[in-house]
Formats: sequence, structure tokens, C-alpha cells
Amino acid sequence: MSVFYNNFSRHAHGEGLKGHTTHYCAGCGHGVAHRDLAAVIDELALQDRVILVSPVGCAVFAHYYFNVGNTQAAHGRAPAVALGHKLAHPNAVVICYQGDGDLASIGLAETLSLAQMGLPITVIFINNAIYGMTGGQLAPTTLMGQKTTTSPEGRTLAMGQPLKMAELIATLDGPVYVERVALYDARQRRIARQAIKHALTLQQEGRGYAFIEILSECPTHLKLSPTESEKWVKEKMEPIYPLGVKKNKTGEPWFHPAPPRYIPEEILGLCGAERTRSAPPPCPWPAQLTARDLSFKFAGAGGDGAQTAALLLTRAAIEQGFDATNIPSYGPESRGGTSYADVHLAADEVLNPAAPEPDILIAFNSPSLAKFAPTVVTGGIILYDCTVIPAPRDLPANRRIFAVPFTQLARELGSPLVKNMVALGALQAVTELLPPLAILETMRHLLKDRPTWQPVNAAAFAAGQKAITLIAPDGR
Amino acid sequence: MSPRPRPFLEPEYCKSCLRCIEACPRACITPGTVINPETGLIPVELHLENCNGCGLCMAACPEPFGLRPTTESFASVLDFELEDPAALFGPKIVPNYSEGDEPDETIPLPPCEPLVLKGSYASAIGALLAGCRHVFGYPITPSTEASELMAKILPKIGGHFIQAVSETAAVNMMYGAGGAGVPCITFTSGPGFSLMLEGISYMIGAEVPGVFVNLMRGGPGLGNLGPEQADIKLACRGLGHGNTHALVLAPSTPQEMLELTRQAFELSFLYRNPVVVLGDGYLGQMTGIVKLPAEMKRVGLPAWAVSGDRAHRHNLICSIELSEDDLEAHNRKLNDKYAYISAHEQRADCYRCADARQLVVACNTPARMAKGAIEDARALGYKAGLFRPITLWPFPIAALTTLLPHIDQLIIVEGSPGQLEDELRLALSHAGISPPPITHVRHYGGVLPSQEEILDCIRENTGGPV
Repeated sequence: MSVFYNNFSRHAHGEGLKGHTTHYCAGCGHGVAHRDLAAVIDELALQDRVILVSPVGCAVFAHYYFNVGNTQAAHGRAPAVALGHKLAHPNAVVICYQGDGDLASIGLAETLSLAQMGLPITVIFINNAIYGMTGGQLAPTTLMGQKTTTSPEGRTLAMGQPLKMAELIATLDGPVYVERVALYDARQRRIARQAIKHALTLQQEGRGYAFIEILSECPTHLKLSPTESEKWVKEKMEPIYPLGVKKNKTGEPWFHPAPPRYIPEEILGLCGAERTRSAPPPCPWPAQLTARDLSFKFAGAGGDGAQTAALLLTRAAIEQGFDATNIPSYGPESRGGTSYADVHLAADEVLNPAAPEPDILIAFNSPSLAKFAPTVVTGGIILYDCTVIPAPRDLPANRRIFAVPFTQLARELGSPLVKNMVALGALQAVTELLPPLAILETMRHLLKDRPTWQPVNAAAFAAGQKAITLIAPDGR
Repeated sequence: MSPRPRPFLEPEYCKSCLRCIEACPRACITPGTVINPETGLIPVELHLENCNGCGLCMAACPEPFGLRPTTESFASVLDFELEDPAALFGPKIVPNYSEGDEPDETIPLPPCEPLVLKGSYASAIGALLAGCRHVFGYPITPSTEASELMAKILPKIGGHFIQAVSETAAVNMMYGAGGAGVPCITFTSGPGFSLMLEGISYMIGAEVPGVFVNLMRGGPGLGNLGPEQADIKLACRGLGHGNTHALVLAPSTPQEMLELTRQAFELSFLYRNPVVVLGDGYLGQMTGIVKLPAEMKRVGLPAWAVSGDRAHRHNLICSIELSEDDLEAHNRKLNDKYAYISAHEQRADCYRCADARQLVVACNTPARMAKGAIEDARALGYKAGLFRPITLWPFPIAALTTLLPHIDQLIIVEGSPGQLEDELRLALSHAGISPPPITHVRHYGGVLPSQEEILDCIRENTGGPV
């Protein structure tokens, strides 16, 4: 009895009869199941470890009675709540107690996904073929022809046929134990108690998820006496919902999650942080620039390397002590499609990170050049890949335009992928924005785990720089 | 071997369901004949001459205090009173209820180079440094990268990332883990946030902490992936059903994504309430400089947690209060909490506000466009300033009020149809303040106001440079 409170102080403040009686109707199967569950928790000495997650439905007030850790969940969400509890405290014994509306209707997705995950959690499913708390409506488990307030002429095919949860759950790979039991006579009650005990033992030992479906009586909404209800469950429900073990595949205990760790070096390493290096002398903002903030647009097709180039420039600038931002923008395609990035470099602080009218455009393909060239500010710079855009049309006047064969130079190095490094080399030569080696240093640092990739990237950067020196100052 | 205990019944706890009669193989129980004056019901009657203590009647009884073994009867306890209770019942169990919180521990971090990070990553790292090891989420652009980073890191440090079956499930996993007393977070965007609102209402009702990072995208409906700000209404006024509020923090840089996410955990546990970090799509995707803090946290366990141990066994996480009086009292308690938060947690950033005549109000990424416009306006001689709410709920009305005496024009800049302006107007109204003229620059659907538009608006709404 100790698993029930001595006084139900949460039930109408424990005053009067409510301090020692449940809110359940006379003869309700929930009460019998509660006593079974309490007896098993007591027998296995799990009271201190149990967290009981109660549903929405008649068992919503389970916390009035069970002297264990209690959480009351939203309608259908008890499995998700139970999962949160189990992962927060793996040593807790988490019991998810749900009715048919909660588990098999509104919470079906949560029910199935928790079962398939297979974590050691115990689900107790009370199936009484009708909604209790809302007053006798159709449940997913209501029998064919059964009259409810929302199937007043009886359940028809169009309302769907009774959902056999134990069989459904048993088809999944996650659960280790699935059984359907009943409460309608002494023998069934004894089996039910054993099933609950087995399920809790499996959880206690970390062996896996167990699902116990209990055919239960709802005399009030079946409009039968408690004794007639027992008979109804036996004669009407059981043929549709056969009792017995539906799955028993117990393996070795497996759920032993490691406790959370809080080791600074480990966290910092995983976040990619590096210990403070000796600070390089702060790099002065290029004297040739009057603006304190420069905006760039890198634009191409997915796979052109526009994003990587934008990120390299951003990182290199920040490592030189400037402020910088980078906003990528992709089309809906996972590969291919449009891909562009807005980059800002600022002497002090990037105020506006968007670049609707960039100072500098780096275009890797024709649509990008056509789209963004007109947006470049007067006096701005346009760099484009003249391998793939041999004859651009309608380029705006009063911009410094540089046609550089990004792709061809990369191909000559044997790696078309490095055309974005060619572009960055060209950008460096045109703007002299950062110290000559800054972008290369950032590239080497990012590729420190792939040292074989460094030489070709460095060569591509150099090829881009050289290409600029070979073309006329007007860029043509 | 002692005989098996027979049943006893305190008649007022019998609801006369008669299930015990069918259960008894020896016909020891009969339907009653006398109405119990206390209950108005007719309890069963026990005739135990033939009872062998099989216990089947007790297993059939649905009431915890219905048919019980005589060993639990008050009379039987009296019988044994003169004996040593320890010999009868074993050692006395003394409830070892948790008296207080198991405190957090602050762990210093060595100095590090600044990181160059996306805002979504910065937020995730902020959560890790706040001690969060439980992340529940569902992929949705533009927030997904944060979940991906957590999925990569958490299993290596004894944490858990769970990709839930839906946002509805994710928020309820947070309800469970938060109710268990551990810090948890989710990263989502508009449509996902909508799905989480039911759960957020439950969390507020049950006073469960948890951090929600919503990187707003274009709506309504599926909308698009652009950076909108049209969930301000939801976060500030629409957190599910009932009387709900949560602190809403609005970062505007990747650095603030980290810092405000860290602070969100502290505030969430301090107030036992969810906290929303409300960014826009740009903030999730934007890369910028992020400096790491000097310390991180190892979290303890609050006294109220439902954590599956004896010290916390008496705890309950629950939002149902059947009695209207009890629920009203609970709402009064929540209201007191909201009032306290409103009075103590307002935060704002004032940029060039001290002498401003035109005050631009903006948050998130539009605040950065606005900052650029303020600089442009100042260069042209306009006395413009930026008031950037960092808490959207509560709106930082106190800081704004101190500026208003010298303000000629308020200009609200936002990527939404006036949701920030609504918060501002509501705050002004509650404060009983007649504001200066208000105008706005607005865009929708993933377009954000441009620096030029804001500058134009500043210029149009003044008599000229001062």
C-alpha cells in the first residue's frame, strides 16, 4: 500500500472521502490496473525510482494516488514526455500510462516512434473501447457496431475498424516485450500483474521497451453494470483483441548511457575553438580605401565554390582583426541551383550585413553575372569567370570589370574545383585588401587535416593573382 | 507460516461495484443491504467464516483503500503497538526529501581565439557552455544546422540529441526533460514553432524551463526561407492557449546568438519558465565573429525536479488544476511572476540615442540595417538614434521612456506587418505615455528593410538636418 499516498491530498485537497477514494467510477478498470501497478512497484522495490507519466483521459489524475515521481503530459504526448525523463535520468523507471484515445488516436505518432526507438520504458495501455473523460465518444479501439455518442448508430466501416495496438506494436523492431492482458476475472488479473512485473523488470535491467495492453472496463459509458462490463470485455472485446504475449525478444541489457561530461578542453575542441595564439600585429585598414565597410557578392551555381570563397574571405578578415560577416543564400536544390553569399568587411563593425548593392561582385556563371552586375555600385568592381562567360552582354558602365578564366586556370592545375581559389587570388590582386598571404594562411589552417590539398589551392590562388597582372587596368 | 491475511473493508471507501463478489470463490462477500450514511452507497458485506485469505477479492477491488489485507487495518496496527515496530515492519523509512537545489558549478574556460561561426552554431555552442546536454528537435530550414552540430557533439560528451517524430513530440520531450530538471533546448523556425505552442503552454502552466530558438522565416503557412520577423506576435502574445508569457530575447549578431542563448538557460531556470530566443533566418545563416566567454557550467539539480529518486519523489510536474479557485490562485502566481519579469528583465541597446531627435526602433538583423542608416543620417547631420529592444517581451519601455522627451519621431523598422510596432504601442499604452508621431519601414515575406529605405524615412520625417 505504501505506493499509494496515505492521504490523497491532491484530490480535492484530501478532504472528506476524497482523501481516500479515487475519482474513478464504480467498477472502473483503471482502479484495478492502478492496484496492480502499485503492487508490482512495491514488490520490485522501485517506488523511489519510478516516474509515472500520466495521460489526458480518465487517468489524468494518477498523481493523486501514486506516491512516486509524477508528471502529467499533454494529450497523446506521454511517450515524448517519458523519453525526456528517461534521457534526463536513465536510472529512473519511467512508466507511461495511457488510454486508448491518448495512445492510439492523438498520440499515435509518439507511441510508434517511442516503441521503435526501443529505450527501456514501460507503456501501460488501458483499452476500454471508448472515450471516458470526454463522455463516451468513439475511440480508435471501439468495436464494430458499438454505439457511442459520436457513433450513435454504431461504428461503421467508414469510421475505421478497431485498431489492434498490441499487434501493431509487436510488428516493430524496437520493443522487446508486448502482451495484451485483461482484468475481467481473477485469472486474467493475475496474468496482468505478472505482465506488468515482467515489463518493469525489463526496464529495471535496461533491456528495452515493453508494451502492456490491458483490456479494461468502462461501466459508465458502456452503460452496463461493473459485472456486466467484465462479461462484455470477455465476450465482445477479447475475440477482437486476443489476449497473450505478442512479442518476447528479450536480449542483453544494453541501455547504459554515459553520464554528461563537462571538460573545458573537450568542449572547446569539439566547438573548433583554439587556444589563444600570440596575437599578430593588428592589420591596418587598407589606406587606399575611403570606405570603412566593403560589401561583396559571391555568386554562382551550387558547387562553384562561391560559399567556400566567401567563408575564406570572412575568416581571413576576422583573423586580421577586422569585423566581417557572411550571409549565404541558396536555392531550394540540395545541389546545383543558385548559390550566392553576401560578405561584409569593416574596419570597426559591420553595421548592415546584407549586400543588395555590393562594392565587389565575384560571378562564377552567366545568370549570376546578369543578375547582380547591375546592382554593383558605381565605381565598384566586377570579377567574372570568362571561361564560362566568354561574351557577357550588357555589363554596366562605370565599373571596373575583370574577366579572369577561373575555370581554365583551375583546369590547368588539374583540379577544376579550385576555381574559387583562383577567384580569391584575383580578388586579392585587384583590391590588395588583406595582407598578401592572409587568405592563404586561412586556407592552410582550414585544410590542416588535409595537407595534400594545400599546394593546389595555393597554386590556384597564385594563378588568380598572376592573371590580374596580365590584363589591362581597365580589365579588358 | 502465518495464515494469509483476510480482507477488511472500511465501508465508506466501497463504491458498491461488486467486482469482489464475482472474484471470491467461496461466496464470502454479498451485496450490501444498508445504505452508508456518509456516501449514500450500499457497500458490500463481508462474511469471512469460510475465507482462506486467497486475496482474489482484493485484487479485483478498484479502490486503493477498498478491500485491503487486515495487516493494513488501523485495528491491526493497534494490536501490534506494544511490539517493536522495527521487528514488525523493518527499519522505519524516513523520507529524505530534497531540501534545496543541488547547485550549478561554474568552470573557467581557457582563453581562446575568436571563432568564426554561423549564428545557429553560435547558439548551439552557447547552449553547450550553459551546461545543456539534452537537445530535442525536428529539421527545419533555416535552423537545422544547430541541430546537426548538436547531433555531432552531444553523443561525445554524454549528451543526447533526439530527432523527434515532429515538433509536437520535440516540445514534449522538453517538457519531460525540463521537468526532470535538466536544461534542454530546441532549434526551430516558424512552422515548427507553431507546432510547439501547445507544449509551451503546458510548460508555462507546469513551470518547466526550456529554451526555444526560433529563427523566423517567411510566412504565413509554408512561406519561404527568407528572414522575416512575423513570429513576434506569437512569441510575445501567442504562446499557446491560456495565460502565457515567456521572456523573448532578440539577438542581432552571431555573438549575441551565443550570449543570449546562454543567458536564456539561466533565466529559464531562475523563473521556471520557457525562454524564447527569437532570431531571423539571416541570423541563423550569417557567419560572424564570436568570442567565447570565460566560463562554462556544470548543471546541478533543482529541488523541484521529477528525477526518479527518493529525494524528489514528492514532486509533480502538472498543469491541471481542477478547482477553479486553485487554478485562479495558480494564475495569480503566474501573473506575479510575469509582473516581476516585466519589472526586472527589460533589456535594450541604445545607439547614439542621447541626443537623438529621430529614434529608429528595430531588432534582429533589421537593427543592423538601421544602425548603418543611423551612421549615414548622422553623417548628413540628422540626429538619429537606434533603440534596439533585446527583450521583446517584456518590451523595454522603461529605457524608451527616458528617451522620449527629446524624440520628435519614432520610426519602427521591421520585417513584419507591424508586430514589433504593436508591442511598442501596447507598452506605451500600458505605461500611459502619449508617444511622438510614429511611422515605419516594413517589409514582408523574407525581404528586410534596406539601409537606404531607413535613411530615406529618417530624412522624410524631419525638418531637415539639425
